Amino acid sequence: MKRAILLIFMFCAFPGVLAAQIGIYQHGTVVRMHMGECIPAGHGFMVAFGGASNPMGPEPCPEYTLVSNQVVFVIVGKLSNSLIPLAEAIDFRFHRNELAVRVDDAKHEAKFAIKEMMVRSEWDRLQRHIEEKMRDAEDHEAEVRLR
Amino acid sequence: MSKSLGTLFIGNRLNRLFLQLLLVTTLAHELVFGLSMPNDSGESANLTYHSTVSEVRLVFFATDEHNHAVKELQKDDFAVVDNEMVIRNFRSFTRADLIKLDVIVVMDSSESVLPQFQQEITDIQQLISQWPWRLGDKVTVLSFSGMETRLVCSGDCRSSFTTDRVHSLPSGGATPLFDAVEVATNALMQRGQPDVWRVIILFSDGDDTISKISLNEVLERILVSETQIYAVDLRSPGPPSNGTAILHKIVDDSGGRYLRIGDGAVGILISLIDDLHFAHVVTYRLPESGSDFHSIRILPTHNLKLQFRCRRGYYFRSGSADTGN
Repeated sequence: MKRAILLIFMFCAFPGVLAAQIGIYQHGTVVRMHMGECIPAGHGFMVAFGGASNPMGPEPCPEYTLVSNQVVFVIVGKLSNSLIPLAEAIDFRFHRNELAVRVDDAKHEAKFAIKEMMVRSEWDRLQRHIEEKMRDAEDHEAEVRLR
Repeated sequence: MSKSLGTLFIGNRLNRLFLQLLLVTTLAHELVFGLSMPNDSGESANLTYHSTVSEVRLVFFATDEHNHAVKELQKDDFAVVDNEMVIRNFRSFTRADLIKLDVIVVMDSSESVLPQFQQEITDIQQLISQWPWRLGDKVTVLSFSGMETRLVCSGDCRSSFTTDRVHSLPSGGATPLFDAVEVATNALMQRGQPDVWRVIILFSDGDDTISKISLNEVLERILVSETQIYAVDLRSPGPPSNGTAILHKIVDDSGGRYLRIGDGAVGILISLIDDLHFAHVVTYRLPESGSDFHSIRILPTHNLKLQFRCRRGYYFRSGSADTGN
């Protein structure tokens, strides 16, 4: 009986630990971060397909570009201090309409609203295009300076 | 005759082409193998290759959840967010106490701070005499009041800063605070030493009354000059004022610290020396960006309780190989 209660407690109290043990985490890298607008309640990519998220505060919220093998996510924290550790590789999983990110060695997860999702190959192509444009602009600037 | 001249001309052109080709081939060979291949006599060819690399150098401070300096910070404990780009690959990471200091103490001698003026002079004197200066460090003192910023002593204030010298200068009148900070940042920039840590220690109540330049302009100057500002508020503790808010804004943008005259010379000195000992310097390749201004933020990679302090950003000077302090 005690074991059963303990197991139930574990399931309720440490979803992150269990998720890690079951191995349902995906891995990704945060490549961009900025403080932007919070996603108001009832908006966002996944909310359109599911339920509403919590109401947001007036302060700016951190927005991250999280790159995984197959998909690139733009995720937004619920509060200005909803930070993700910017390690080379971070663990995350889908949780209802949000992304749950492991923030410190499997003890704790933070939930982020999903603002955008893009297939990785498409995102890579877009990045290459942006880089080319920037290089062209720099070359043009250098030419103008030389004249 | 004309035929033989024509043959000679063609021959000369061929010779010239051959010589040009030989020269290009030799240069290409030298460029490719010049550094790695020894010549016939066994000596390596003394070639130096130059390339321009834009690098960002950033002085920053790390504290734990109790606001204590982190002494054993590692390279992989933090990432820099430079214009939204997350940077983890650093070229170098060292302690900042290895860098030479170029310090300018800017002292307010205007009407509004005259009641604390003597205390201010005493604190500056103690600060200069007790600071653990090293060979090559410089300290300059400026005083501002009325419409002017005046030089008290330059570079060698360890020996030349005296109370008499300060009292011989005019005091009272209006407060050209922003102009004085601009004079100090310009002086630091004009010395043009890239490998120094530029610091301004500003003693003032923050209430500018007459400057020619605006707060926004002086904030930009501070970022351009890559100077860290430590403000010592001369005001007695009380309700928040505009002056205090301005001092906070200046130190936050520059990555410095806000201190109070009430902390005493020893308290101020300890805070400054703490920063001096536990500051870190990181360098990284300049990330591509569409704008001249790069905003910076340092965030932890593992331990979210770590806090980082650095300047708000920097301006990339096109054509310069170094952009940081």
